[in-house]
Amino acid sequence: MPLLSISVFLPLLGGVLLMALPNKSARIAHGVSIATTGLTFVVTLAIWARGTLPGGFAQVEEIAWIPAIGAAYRLGIDGLSLPLILLTSLLFFLSAIYAARITDRPAVFVALMLMLETASIGTFAALDALLFYVFFEVSLVGMYFMIVGWGYEERQRAGLMFFIYTLLGSLPLLLAIIGLYLATGSFDMRLWIEAPPLTGLAAMLALIAMLFTFAVKIPSFPVHTWLPAAHVQAPTVGSVILAGVMLKFGTYGLVRFALQMTPDAFAQAGQVVLAFGVFSALYGAFVALAQSDLKKMIAYTSVNHMGYVVIGVAVAALTLDPDLRAVALNGATLQMVSHGVVTGALFFLVGMLQSRAHEREMTAFGGLLGQVPWLGWAFVLSAFASLGLPGLAHFPAEFQIFLATLNAQPWAIVAIIAIVVTAGLYLRAIAAVFLGEPNEKWAAMPDLDRGEMQAVVPLLILIILIGVAPSWLLGMIDATMRALQF
Amino acid sequence: MARDLSFLFPELMLASTVVLMLVAEMLRAPRLALAFGLIGLGLSTALTLPLLEADTSVFGGTYRVDLLSGWAKLILLPGTALALLMTRAEIAGKDREGSVYVLLCLVTLGALMLAGGGDMMLLVLGVVLTGLGSFAMVAWPRNDAATEAAMKYLVFGAVTGSVMIYGLTFWFGGAGSTLFSELGALDGKPLIALAGLVAVLIGLGYKAALVPFQFWAPDAYDGAPVSVAAFLSVITKVAAIFAFAQVLRDLPVATGWPFVVALIAAVTMTLGYLAALVQTNAVRLLAYSSVAQAGYFMMGIVALGTSALALPSVIVFGAAYVAMNLGAFAVIMIAGRNLDDFKGFGRARPVVGVAMVVFLLSLTGIPPLFGFVGKVLLFGAAIETGYLWLAVIGILNSVLALAVYLRIVVSMYQAREGDAGRTEMAPPLLVVLWATALVTALMGLFAGVFPG
Repeated sequence: MPLLSISVFLPLLGGVLLMALPNKSARIAHGVSIATTGLTFVVTLAIWARGTLPGGFAQVEEIAWIPAIGAAYRLGIDGLSLPLILLTSLLFFLSAIYAARITDRPAVFVALMLMLETASIGTFAALDALLFYVFFEVSLVGMYFMIVGWGYEERQRAGLMFFIYTLLGSLPLLLAIIGLYLATGSFDMRLWIEAPPLTGLAAMLALIAMLFTFAVKIPSFPVHTWLPAAHVQAPTVGSVILAGVMLKFGTYGLVRFALQMTPDAFAQAGQVVLAFGVFSALYGAFVALAQSDLKKMIAYTSVNHMGYVVIGVAVAALTLDPDLRAVALNGATLQMVSHGVVTGALFFLVGMLQSRAHEREMTAFGGLLGQVPWLGWAFVLSAFASLGLPGLAHFPAEFQIFLATLNAQPWAIVAIIAIVVTAGLYLRAIAAVFLGEPNEKWAAMPDLDRGEMQAVVPLLILIILIGVAPSWLLGMIDATMRALQF
Repeated sequence: MARDLSFLFPELMLASTVVLMLVAEMLRAPRLALAFGLIGLGLSTALTLPLLEADTSVFGGTYRVDLLSGWAKLILLPGTALALLMTRAEIAGKDREGSVYVLLCLVTLGALMLAGGGDMMLLVLGVVLTGLGSFAMVAWPRNDAATEAAMKYLVFGAVTGSVMIYGLTFWFGGAGSTLFSELGALDGKPLIALAGLVAVLIGLGYKAALVPFQFWAPDAYDGAPVSVAAFLSVITKVAAIFAFAQVLRDLPVATGWPFVVALIAAVTMTLGYLAALVQTNAVRLLAYSSVAQAGYFMMGIVALGTSALALPSVIVFGAAYVAMNLGAFAVIMIAGRNLDDFKGFGRARPVVGVAMVVFLLSLTGIPPLFGFVGKVLLFGAAIETGYLWLAVIGILNSVLALAVYLRIVVSMYQAREGDAGRTEMAPPLLVVLWATALVTALMGLFAGVFPG
């Protein structure tokens, strides 16, 4: 059975089916949504059970598409893409559960969300560059309409900025893809990875184009400015998907395209990329420290966490020691998954807080822990994970990244200062919102209901599971990373 | 002679259709004229299919039956049929209705001459045949705006047409023949080649609305009925682009013409979108957008003779452009000419709204829509020829394009004060919308059927 294709197109099928139904009430729409995303999650679990191959792509599916120019429908997975596919299908499933409270045009919302899921899984599974680009761009369109349709006050402006900014960001990738295509006559990514076709100046130009695209998506300083606007204005589910899944397009592309297809150029430019990564990590942490809006603060910590991923990949490109390389890339890949889980949980929780209080300013709250213990403790746990506490999800990832950095590029270890800053800002946020004098205004605030629990608790369990015993994920990642040739 | 004629069945079919339509119009039977037109266009499309593999020329090399002219028929004939249906929806029951149908088909016959011309005389014939019919169609509403628009169009056309004929005499003198296939003789005569090139750029550039010969387009489109504007923006433009391909692929690259064309392409797409950015009238916005799209077409023309992607890119983008632009104009016919008319349109008519979003995103070049496939091929052709800078400008303009088209999308989903007037949609328009929307949305996935 072509499980990969099923997992990619099942959500789209669900969306089309819903649109064709005569009765599109909220109940039916959300029923279809939860059933489809749940089934997709099960399918991705089955893909996981089938497993990956070390040193190559597994479960490859291939059908001719435009044979005249060597483009085909090609899907496959390895230890880099499978964890991200699992993360994607889980986050969409939980988002579908949480989104069941949306009553404004529910059918259209669900259709958009399911289209986004198809685009997201497709982006990670595609082995054909043109197909990858198709999925990559379709996700933009879906997110644009989600922001302008269901966002907050300034959604029009934020949506427009998001769309134009990221389209400008992704078009250079198209140029790089065309360049690689003209050198080989095929869009097969496996060919490009096996024998990187470009050399010299052409490779460097292609790398610069790709770095620009993925830096916008990651987002890395100085092209991160779309992120806070988009996050703050997006609906909760939109924020979760944007931060949990779509930022990973950038880091995934950084490894899959930039590192694997132009390795020599990447090694030459490694110090520059590393410097951007270090600066992004520090910058994101300090700017997050300056925020009083909870959503904006979490958005900026994403810039910080994704900066660590960039550091890990750059260190891997710069070092020749295969063990260190594997450690750096393992850390970077695990960091992508951890960030998806942790930030997904944080955005859910802030969204739940906002839907109760219609307020995101930290100073407006106080002493909520006694009022809403479930929400409060969940937030505390996620925040501790986000600041890198041992035993929680980010620790094993960041530890490996810093370990490799210290061995290979000791100067870059200055990025560790960001961890201290992050700890400070989260403790401050917890103190302002959940500790201290209870604010009378929120005396009637209800705690998490069943639907909200169902959306958040699985993520909390994963945070601890990845933190305590990451080997079930790392084993699969490590097998692929050790076999990477570049 | 019989062999030559056998390759011309589609054209002969269309010509006799026009005659029959004229008779029907003389009998004051516009519906009959319409029926003749649709059947004739359908038959002539069907007659094209067996000739698609042909690669030859007839009548001493003056008319080419090749990949380009074959696909031109497959694209332009159905496109004209859709334009006929749009016209019917707009002007049904009005005076002199049938004459527009006749003119539409006649202009398409001229467009086929342009797309298949292998000789300077035929090029001139095509320009005149498309021009005369178009002037008359723009003037058809008989009000001040239309008359003024038609006048501008006519004067502009007359001047550029004569300059083109004058310049072609240089090529004739230099090459000793009116056949394009003999243009290779101009190798080593750069001045003569350039003189003729400038003339062709003026004559055909006017037809394709390239900058700086685009001034007539917004006025003519705005003065004419919307359906006629739609027709002019796709059929005559694509025909002019195909004519560029027929003329320039025989001109030696050493004369430096690709660079001149690349410059014009860059300026055209940039100025087109910049002007579109400030329009408040949807027809004028699409007029400037189609100016910019002509610039993208020229990226494929630049690559002629050096890149194997050049011809496929022009053909695929031509097909995509006809579908998405006709569709966008059809939505304007439903919503209204002003950008303000689009306020709340997407909420009042969800299905048509989604169709418009598809057309506009395809015009921007968002995958997996049809326009994206065309643009990828165009970019590929330009890069393979060594014009990376042109591809970069094209990409930057795609961002500008998004800003232009999102203006319509944004206002479509804004809340509208008062009730949204829900006009009934004519059945022919429904056919056009479904056909263009399906082609735009799905042909990108089945792009394998096009030549590569």
